[in-house]
Amino acid sequence: MFFLALKNILFYKGRSITTFALTFFSTFSFIVYVAMMDGSHNSILHNALKVYVGAIEIYEKGYREIGGNEYLLYNVHKKEEILKNIEGVSSFTSRYETYGLLSSDEYSSAAMVVGINPTKEVQHSQLKNALILGEYLDGSANNCLYVGSDLAKRLHVKLDSKVSFIGSASDNSFAADIFKVCGMFKTGAYEFDSSSAFIDRGYFDTLMLSEDMASYIHVNVTDLSDVDLIQQKIQAALDDPKLEVLTWKTLMASMVEAMKVDSIFGYISISLFFVVIFFVIMIFSFINASSRLREFGTLRAIGLSSANINVLLFYEIFILSTLAIILAAPLGAYVAYYFNANPIIIEGMSETYKEYGIVSDELPLSFDLFTIAWNVGIVYLLNFLSILYPMRFINRFKPLEALKHV
Amino acid sequence: MIRLQNVNKYYYRGEEREVHALKEINLEIKKGEFSLLSGPSGCGKTTLLNAIGALDSIDSGEIYLDDMEISSLSEDARTRLRLNEMGFVFQAYNLIPVLNVEENIGFIMKLRGFDEDVIKARVQELASLLEIDTKLSSLPSTLSGGQQQRVAVARAVAPKPKIILADEPTANLDSKNSKTLMDMMRSLNEKEGISVLFASHDEYVMRYVRRIIEMNDGAIVAK
Ligand SMILES: Nc1ncnc2c1ncn2[C@@H]1O[C@H](COP(=O)(O)OP(=O)(O)O)[C@@H](O)[C@H]1O
Ligand SMILES: [Mg+2]
Repeated sequence: MFFLALKNILFYKGRSITTFALTFFSTFSFIVYVAMMDGSHNSILHNALKVYVGAIEIYEKGYREIGGNEYLLYNVHKKEEILKNIEGVSSFTSRYETYGLLSSDEYSSAAMVVGINPTKEVQHSQLKNALILGEYLDGSANNCLYVGSDLAKRLHVKLDSKVSFIGSASDNSFAADIFKVCGMFKTGAYEFDSSSAFIDRGYFDTLMLSEDMASYIHVNVTDLSDVDLIQQKIQAALDDPKLEVLTWKTLMASMVEAMKVDSIFGYISISLFFVVIFFVIMIFSFINASSRLREFGTLRAIGLSSANINVLLFYEIFILSTLAIILAAPLGAYVAYYFNANPIIIEGMSETYKEYGIVSDELPLSFDLFTIAWNVGIVYLLNFLSILYPMRFINRFKPLEALKHV
Repeated sequence: MIRLQNVNKYYYRGEEREVHALKEINLEIKKGEFSLLSGPSGCGKTTLLNAIGALDSIDSGEIYLDDMEISSLSEDARTRLRLNEMGFVFQAYNLIPVLNVEENIGFIMKLRGFDEDVIKARVQELASLLEIDTKLSSLPSTLSGGQQQRVAVARAVAPKPKIILADEPTANLDSKNSKTLMDMMRSLNEKEGISVLFASHDEYVMRYVRRIIEMNDGAIVAK
């Protein structure tokens, strides 16, 4: 039967070539499309993690939902001592975030002012690398302000400009001071660049009366795929029901959601494409099968069962799709692999997509054998489905009816 | 070898109008016979041949192959029966277009699981007997009608079935090719003792057979 299937494939060239070419094309484009989609999602995530959000962040319950000084973390040093001994935690730093009014001589803007430990922060965000003008904070606990480029534009300030700050200290008392612009940064994330400014905690804590306090502790892990496990360990070690230890999946829930939605749309559009391919393959199989009705009638008359005929048709599509997939899958995988190692550079992409947190012009494709395997599986499945109707059609005829067919 | 008892068959056309295509057929065909169902067009030859070949069902009566009643068998059992016990030759040759002559002749033997060596020898033997041995590697579409029909005969005869059923095998052939075909089939019948039952109204066929079963309007009128 296998032999006959092979012969049929060689004989009915039109159908074979169409099926082969379509299968080849859809396998290849499916793999590359999914690799591109996953790749862009991955890089958005990684960008976001690099920029500011932590793999894990530790909060007092209520801070994220309600906010305000009632929900600050206390005894930060003690908590940090505990973190030091947890396996999988590579580094940590605490931040003190507050919202206030920044004003230059003529302009003002609400902003998030964050007290950071400049040296530690280097391991936790891209702030230092995002420097475009002046200097990053030098760690000497002065009143230097590191301002987002778009915020600086809003305030119309330059390097060395004076900026006044009015806010509320950790005990809700009035806090006001004058800072000096020492550096400007641009991450590409507009929201972020237009509303945040950083200052050395050593200086900021005296103003905000926030010694040994923090908005949250920002934790890096050695291996991002272990993040859930490490989160549990931290939760257990801190052993305080008033704390919440959150991973990036929760912290960036809206982004994760958005990417899910994006994936769904991606799959919908590619499945439309597949439905078309599927129907074309089916129509060709069907035309081929109906032109061979008399042949099938002969085969049935001389003693092949309808199951034999189904096996014959199955072999035909199996050989054709296997051949196409064997050629297309490695090619698709290679393209994904190549552009994974050598990301496509799209000039100006970071500019266009900065609101989505893309901070580089590189778009690496995702290379994942498991994904490629299920892509291939789907193409196989569709090809097999495409001959079910032709099979049904042929088996509706009795041998004698099929024989008479011309 | 084959025995029919009170076989009736009807074709239903719509609700009421039925055709009584086989009427109380009683018939016996012995091993080694070279016989013919003859009669005017539409008298039921093909219907009877298909009933004997387990290709079509009947409405009443019994058909025995040796001692087995075959008309009541399941579709699968009848399929196996056709493969293992029957050989078919059709009016339109019905060769498998993608297989060459050699593969066509050996096709049924291969389905039945004969050894490759046995198949090869048998194909060679039949091909020279039927004078198509120079065409073994050609595709059917490159052969003349007469040659194609000889390939079809060789395919049917190759596994030595109990009986060959040939429905109008000469209808698409000219007189010369018809004579050659009948000559060869008859010598196969004599050499190998293969039983053949024709359905035809062709005088060439009539001249070669040893027994004529005359039919008219669905009934046998003379044996
Ligand atoms: N599939 C069918 N449906 C309805 N009537 C049929 C069918 N096949 C044959 N008949 C009728 O049965 C009768 C016998 O036909 P058939 O056996 O083909 O005759 P023959 O082969 O002797 O020419 C004819 O009247 C024919 O019209
Ligand atoms: Mg007829």
